[in-house]
Amino acid sequence: MKERMQNSSLKQEFLKNWIKGLQLHTNFNKNTTILERRKAIKLSADIAIASTRNSTTRWSRALISDASRDGSNKTLIEKISGREAPRKDSFGLIRCSKKIMKRSRVTRQIRARKAVLPSVVGASLIEKKLVKSRTRALKRLVPGGEDMDEISLIKETIDYIVSLRVQVDVMGRMASVADRLIPFKSL
Amino acid sequence: MSVLERQRARLNWQQENLIQHQPFTYFNENEHFDGAFLMGNVDQGFGELLMGRAMKPDPGFEDGWNGLNYENVSEFEMSCALPRTASGPPAVVADDGKGKEAALSSATGKESFKKRKADTNNIPKVAAEEKSQDKKMKRGAEEDTRITEQNSNSKSTITTANDNNKETPDENSKPSEAPKPDYIHVRARRGQATDSHSLAERVRREKISERMKYLQDLVPGCNKITGKAGMLDEIINYVQSLQRQVQFLSMKLAAMNPRLDFETDNYLAKEMFQVCASSIPAIGSSAESVNPTHLQFNGFGKGVSSCGLEMGANPPDVALRRTISAPVSIPDTLFVSSCLNQIQPLTWDAELQNLYGMEYQQGRSTSFVSQPFSGFIDASHVKQEM
Repeated sequence: MKERMQNSSLKQEFLKNWIKGLQLHTNFNKNTTILERRKAIKLSADIAIASTRNSTTRWSRALISDASRDGSNKTLIEKISGREAPRKDSFGLIRCSKKIMKRSRVTRQIRARKAVLPSVVGASLIEKKLVKSRTRALKRLVPGGEDMDEISLIKETIDYIVSLRVQVDVMGRMASVADRLIPFKSL
Repeated sequence: MSVLERQRARLNWQQENLIQHQPFTYFNENEHFDGAFLMGNVDQGFGELLMGRAMKPDPGFEDGWNGLNYENVSEFEMSCALPRTASGPPAVVADDGKGKEAALSSATGKESFKKRKADTNNIPKVAAEEKSQDKKMKRGAEEDTRITEQNSNSKSTITTANDNNKETPDENSKPSEAPKPDYIHVRARRGQATDSHSLAERVRREKISERMKYLQDLVPGCNKITGKAGMLDEIINYVQSLQRQVQFLSMKLAAMNPRLDFETDNYLAKEMFQVCASSIPAIGSSAESVNPTHLQFNGFGKGVSSCGLEMGANPPDVALRRTISAPVSIPDTLFVSSCLNQIQPLTWDAELQNLYGMEYQQGRSTSFVSQPFSGFIDASHVKQEM
């Protein structure tokens, strides 16, 4: 029950933010292709759900900063989140440095692996490989996941899943209402 | 009966004592012991036996148990502390006897999804489930650190206690230490390396497994999977499916509406109430689509009344629909959209403020919703009289 209460306030906030963003779009887009519209809707939704977190989670910060990379989204972000769009540089630099560290680590691992070749690959080794590759895949899925360690990755994933569910729920409701209200082309 | 009463009283006492220390969820074997105790040993002055076991590691017990290795006193205390109903018939105890020694040597990380408590622990299961649980934890490295950080995630204090679940039985371990600020106390288990690296490693693994349990609850269908790799796979699939759903829904919304502003103007208030009302179980969600429509009519004088008059639906029909929560008929919505299109966005902003204010007052929304409905009925009545 408590979860439902928390969830409903989350949904309301997301809806509010989302609609704010959509309104912005309508002001300057009149004739757009469906793909552009879809992109705009999705963008507004993503920024809306990310701003419900108020930069407390890494995925939300990464999402907003990714969106703000493209200069045209700046006004959107500011409108939705109510605060200034983050400067690109800080996140970019951190990411660069982490990539360098990762690259050096990877080369070290390759060298180590070449030195020791197990003749029999045990089950635990396979397990470890599987876990590693899947962790990497998960990192790619969660926004901003590349730079996280495993513990915080799981924490971020939990939060991200909750937010995604809210997003899907509200968007689904919106779509179902839109279904009922769809104007016939003849009108 | 007095024996049983005594037993119960002791269980309760132990439970109260230990619950402050946040006891683990424990061995299944111990639970089965409980069951067996209840069923098998009532005659034997069971209360004394229980007490004796609670007081000290009692090797004499083993006679009744065919050489089962059950652990030390504190473990039993802790297992009693959890008010588990005796789940296992004596037959299961026999199974445990076989599986226990084998299970002891393997680590498990399961079952806590059932008990979403602050304590996370890995319970070595019976041999049948042993294989699947091997994947989760390394062999021979049972996790037994208690973590209270679930309650306060940001705090770094972790109270831990030990679980001497190794092959050597009958060890006494004290209950957990009192939490101190900013220190993570981890006690090394017997047979384990005590250097800081492995301890830290164990804490880290415990954190990970604890969080994976949360994920297990979140992701549907993850309950049966016990391996880390399998669960990660499920999680990845779930996140991918959610992301694809978002894509699909945004495409659907883009396809539906020729103009975005049309969409926001019309659906805004409806959605607000839908979302509001979703937290109120009494009101069906689809019914809300009816009411907000009417609400808008009341909000905007002239245009509203003209729209309302054009509605083809009879008020009784709409009332019916409200109760049975059937969707509004298409002609209604057509008129709605055409009418509302003429309304300027500016007026909507003012209404938006009101609506935003409304949405947070859940208590009011029920009455709020009913009012416009009655207003609509009046309007259409007027027309029909004419």
